[in-house]
Amino acid sequence: MPAAARRTVRDPALAIAAAVVAALLAFFVLYPLVALLARVFLADGQLGIGLLLEVLGQPGHRAAFANSLLLATLVGVTGTALGFLFAFTAARAGLTVAWARFLDVATLLPLISPPFTTSISLIFSFGPRGLITHDLLGLKGVTIYGLSGTLAAETLTYFPIAYLTLRPVLSAMGNTLDEMAMSLGGSRRHLFRTVTLPLAVPGLANAFLLLFAASLADFATPLILAGNRFPVLPTEAYLQITGLFDLQGGAVLSFALLVPAVAVFLLQRYWVGRRQYVTVTGKAGPEGTAKGVSPAARAVLVALCLLVAAFILYLYALLIWASVVAAFGANHAFTLDHYRVIFTEGRKAIGDTLVIALLGMPLGGLYGVLVGYIVARGRFAGRQLLELAAMINYALPGTIVGIAYLIAFNDPPVALTGTALIIVACYVFRYSPTGIRATIAQLHQIDRSLEEASESLGAKGGTTFRRIVMPLILPAFFAGLGVVFIRSMTAISATIFLVSIDWTLITVRILENMTELALGPAAAFSVFVIVVVMVVTGLVNALLRRLRAGQEMPVAGMGGG
Amino acid sequence: MAADAGAPVGIRLEGVSAQFRHRVKGLVYAARDVTLAIAPGELLTLLGPSGCGKTTTLRMIAGFQEPSAGRILIGERDVTRVMASDRDIGFVFQSYALFPHLSIFENVAYGLRVRKEAAAGIARRVGAVLDLVGLAGYERQLPSQLSGGEQQRVALARAIVIRPRVLLFDEPLSNLDAKLRVQMRSEIRELQKRLGITAVYVTHDQEEAMAISDRIAVMSRGEIVQLGDAETLYRRPASTFVAEFIGRSNLLAATVESVAPGAVGVSVAGARLLLEAPGDGLGQGMAVRLVVRPEAVTLAAERPGALAATVRGRTYLGEKVEYELETAGGRLQAVIFDPPEGGTFPPGCRVAVQLPTRGLQILPETAS
Repeated sequence: MPAAARRTVRDPALAIAAAVVAALLAFFVLYPLVALLARVFLADGQLGIGLLLEVLGQPGHRAAFANSLLLATLVGVTGTALGFLFAFTAARAGLTVAWARFLDVATLLPLISPPFTTSISLIFSFGPRGLITHDLLGLKGVTIYGLSGTLAAETLTYFPIAYLTLRPVLSAMGNTLDEMAMSLGGSRRHLFRTVTLPLAVPGLANAFLLLFAASLADFATPLILAGNRFPVLPTEAYLQITGLFDLQGGAVLSFALLVPAVAVFLLQRYWVGRRQYVTVTGKAGPEGTAKGVSPAARAVLVALCLLVAAFILYLYALLIWASVVAAFGANHAFTLDHYRVIFTEGRKAIGDTLVIALLGMPLGGLYGVLVGYIVARGRFAGRQLLELAAMINYALPGTIVGIAYLIAFNDPPVALTGTALIIVACYVFRYSPTGIRATIAQLHQIDRSLEEASESLGAKGGTTFRRIVMPLILPAFFAGLGVVFIRSMTAISATIFLVSIDWTLITVRILENMTELALGPAAAFSVFVIVVVMVVTGLVNALLRRLRAGQEMPVAGMGGG
Repeated sequence: MAADAGAPVGIRLEGVSAQFRHRVKGLVYAARDVTLAIAPGELLTLLGPSGCGKTTTLRMIAGFQEPSAGRILIGERDVTRVMASDRDIGFVFQSYALFPHLSIFENVAYGLRVRKEAAAGIARRVGAVLDLVGLAGYERQLPSQLSGGEQQRVALARAIVIRPRVLLFDEPLSNLDAKLRVQMRSEIRELQKRLGITAVYVTHDQEEAMAISDRIAVMSRGEIVQLGDAETLYRRPASTFVAEFIGRSNLLAATVESVAPGAVGVSVAGARLLLEAPGDGLGQGMAVRLVVRPEAVTLAAERPGALAATVRGRTYLGEKVEYELETAGGRLQAVIFDPPEGGTFPPGCRVAVQLPTRGLQILPETAS
């Protein structure tokens, strides 16, 4: 039956909910964006691109723009290559369960950590007084700061996104396809070149674009590692505002970031995203019988993956070690001082962050489920527009969102900066799309007649939602809620513009510690955040298993700070 | 007694249409100008092939869909713009639509809980209605633990426990196996009569419709093409569509030779017949179709002047034998019940086809 023929007698509950959501989106998504654009294109009440040309005319800013694109491209290439290596090994090398699990843990860690954890560890390892460069190799005057350091940190942080994107593609192709190709007389190398790689091309393009976007949006890594030699747009925009108090200049720089970000998002979503060849057979191919990989190649693949995974774990171990020694690089005596510091001096940041995360968690979960329900079940024109609007803040680099919020909510009539509300709102509208997507996917599997049955039994829209729909989409609710909590614990790029004396965040404190070279507390804070996030991830996944949802929290959509 | 809805009410549809915009075809009617009066306590079936608009019509009565034109009245109340939740209906879905996260008890109790009934009353009424559908003792099970037939009984219990003024069924038996279908339809019929609730029943199965209904509305392309009881539809189909949709029928091309009061002379493939029929609207020389049910045909040895045919196929089924015949006017199916031993006609055999002279429906060639 055509959808349009299902027009129902209007239920005010859904219409009211849709109106409320639309109003919220208009206020917290569209209005800040318009305010940002107005700041960029309006000079003395005149519409024009004078300001844009003026700011981008400065060589330093042009360099930042070029650097951003260069870094994003390089991260896209190396991260996709590394992700492919992992995905290919996991799908084809016939790993035992334990080794596969090891790879999974090593790739999950960067996804759920604060965005600059890898950067901090890299400094511990390769910095001026780094464990490897200074202590082990005795090198002097080595610098990790600049393009190579940033590239390494971002690649290690974001390649798991490529891994998670590519693994289903490669697994779905299955060994059966390999066996068939080889039974036709193809050599292994020929098979890889003519079957596996071409089938993976859309997946590779998809992974590249996702990594490109993640790198483009990354703020924390370049702030720590890029330094003065390699300015990129997000850090330039931040320094323009916090260093030079030039909000307008920051706005223009963030706008320069917006153009490639939107282009990549649209390309990824509407072009590559629809070109995935998913070779679904409905039957899981036998695992462990990998004939497409020769024993020698397999050994090399596994060794490389284990090396990378071990390196990631080494970085995290280093982080923990740095948090329990007096002064990393100088005095390696065991101490819990840094933890004492973060739980005393840093208690406000920890308390604030937890309050904000705990406030945002239910709100974000509920908002995600509500928007998902309206998009999936609403029957009014413009619900696609609603969905798109709900995606905007998720797709945009955090720097843009943060600056837009700063411009929109700094002055009366809506002076909200400095409050917890604005930080919570930022997280809710930025990190709920995971919950929205999960809700829509789940609702597509629930027969609409369940809601009609409830209606026919006398229940109004609100009751039906509460008593029938909500229990059935509970897994999506928890998944969305978990993601909002984790991101609230780890994000920084948008909210660094929104913190105040009244409300601050752990991530901001870590950054301050890094600039003050208080590496111990920075490490201790990072360890604390990772532990909290892992505990919450574990709890949410346990809950999802109890709900027999057969799904895990979708961490793949969590890249970027 | 679980349900005692008070005096049953009628349902009226006045010029009800459902129009929607199709991407290719433009504006299309799913239902077009449907006018129908369902008597209090009656079970009326909407019957037709898929896409005929029967489900759309039912969903508009339920309030799941808003008509683009027309009025719907339940009792004397105009419910056209009333939400489904306020129409006081019970709806039984093809997919059962049981709430998978609620126990059988809570599924049935749902409508009562929504109405904020007292807990004691809910327990009593749910118990009584589960008894009524033969599911006492299933209260704590989940829907997924029940068979299809049991699930449909729960759906029925859930619909009647709220004592609706109207019961609506959307192909409730189509997911069940053939044997269970026959059993369930008589149970539904019995329950509906016992409770005296006005009911509208949608199906594409003509046998089910004939077995269960007081009256049947046959629908085609969004419109009601004929309304009547099972016998009227079978004996007096108003169109070749109805003739072919209800039961099996031969549509023999014939020409009217004479029209006299109570008697119509026709010629069929060279043979002449004088039929007892009113002859209204028929004229000499008119091309018509005779609706001949296979079981109305009798066969005899070939003789001059009779409608001659050749046996093309013969299927012996014990209680009956089915023939595929070829006449000068086209193919013809015949069914002979209780065939005498050794008395069937083998394929290739020439036979005389005898048509009954009374009770044949004559349709003008234009009535498609």
